[in-house]
Amino acid sequence: MRWNRSGIGLAVLAIVALCCARSEDGKTITLQAQTPQALATPLPTEPSKPAVEGQKRAPEFFVMIDPSHGGNDKGARFTGKLVEKDITLRLARELRKELEERGIASRLLRESDIDLSLDRRAEITNEQRAGVYVALHAGRPGKGVRVYAPALADPQQPLAGRFLPWETAQSGALGRSQNVARAVSEELKKKGMTVANLSVPLRPLNNVAVPAIAVELTPDQDNLQSLESQKRQNDVATAIALGIAQIRSETGARP
Amino acid sequence: MIPRHFQITIALVLLAILISGIVIIRMTHKEEALTLQSSEAAPAAPMVGGKQEHIQLLVAYDEDQALRWRPADVFLPADRNLRARETLRSVLAQYLQTPSPHPLGKGSDIKDVYFISDDTMVVDTTAQFADGHPSGILLEELTLASLIETLTANVPGITKVKFLVDGKERETLAGHADLMSFYQTAAVHEMAKEFE
Repeated sequence: MRWNRSGIGLAVLAIVALCCARSEDGKTITLQAQTPQALATPLPTEPSKPAVEGQKRAPEFFVMIDPSHGGNDKGARFTGKLVEKDITLRLARELRKELEERGIASRLLRESDIDLSLDRRAEITNEQRAGVYVALHAGRPGKGVRVYAPALADPQQPLAGRFLPWETAQSGALGRSQNVARAVSEELKKKGMTVANLSVPLRPLNNVAVPAIAVELTPDQDNLQSLESQKRQNDVATAIALGIAQIRSETGARP
Repeated sequence: MIPRHFQITIALVLLAILISGIVIIRMTHKEEALTLQSSEAAPAAPMVGGKQEHIQLLVAYDEDQALRWRPADVFLPADRNLRARETLRSVLAQYLQTPSPHPLGKGSDIKDVYFISDDTMVVDTTAQFADGHPSGILLEELTLASLIETLTANVPGITKVKFLVDGKERETLAGHADLMSFYQTAAVHEMAKEFE
């Protein structure tokens, strides 16, 4: 039987990729079945790759910063031009700068306006064994900043031996996520901001096997332009960086 | 040669047939338009009967980011599935009115609900429910908490709830809240307390 290129391509497509990610304590492995891309789907070009993909695993503690949404996923729309995906990217760059000033390494899940699935965001974070995962959001209603710790939709899902179910991969890190959320909230309050602390089932936080929080910036006094304010973004980024630095100093490299 | 009076009679008969034809065609078009209009306005599921009950709905209020119990008189059938569906639809009805405490997209509705076991319920919503839902962590969580809490308060015995959108699984409601998981009602109850 003679194999041509398309035949080999189809055979390759039939394989289901299994992505493996070790949890931060190295004791558990998260497995997720991933459907391969169709032959007709063009391979992503260099600029559309996630910012951190392909980087070697960092041996030291680092923060994975996730500017939520991107590409076709605009997130919340505030005005015709002001959309959540742009605000989160600017805030992410600000947070990276603030963390670096405090000697904490960080990586951005996206550096530009690209599509990146929620599952892929969690996979990269787990694969690279980040010390902390921070998802950045912007939304209405309310005022100030909301800090979310993950909450499992179904906390009683049984563990499958040494494997973590994808939907509850966060289960082993829930307590530490709450510690990070509390520390960040304290720093935001010190800056005089209105802060709400909540625990909700969010993707991809629940699929991340390391301490994870989400920070949501809301318009100040219904002033939508405040979402773009350099000072406000800097204040929020500084508070997040201080919270992470504090909890890191208290507990060593592992929050 | 055809007599003149006979010619006039035939002409009148032909004219009457023509006018009748036009009237029938116009009436048919009007009927089709009315049928189409009523089917667009109709809910995804047929209305059901039942006994009127005084129940409590947990309603989301965007203005103060809170969930509050509100009484409502709703016709609820005895059948458990139908009771669950009508309970959920009465919550959505609160959000679809004008002005709304928590606006949702036009066409948001419950297509179907069914138990996959004694205590686990699947709720199938219309596509408009998710497509037209405002994006935002808080807004999405308030919607889910409001629906699940109202459901468990009025239909006893439900411990897990899963949402589908137009018969299919969807990752999130509008970019944030998890729709892939089965929600444990006890965990949602704890979460809802944060907003009450």
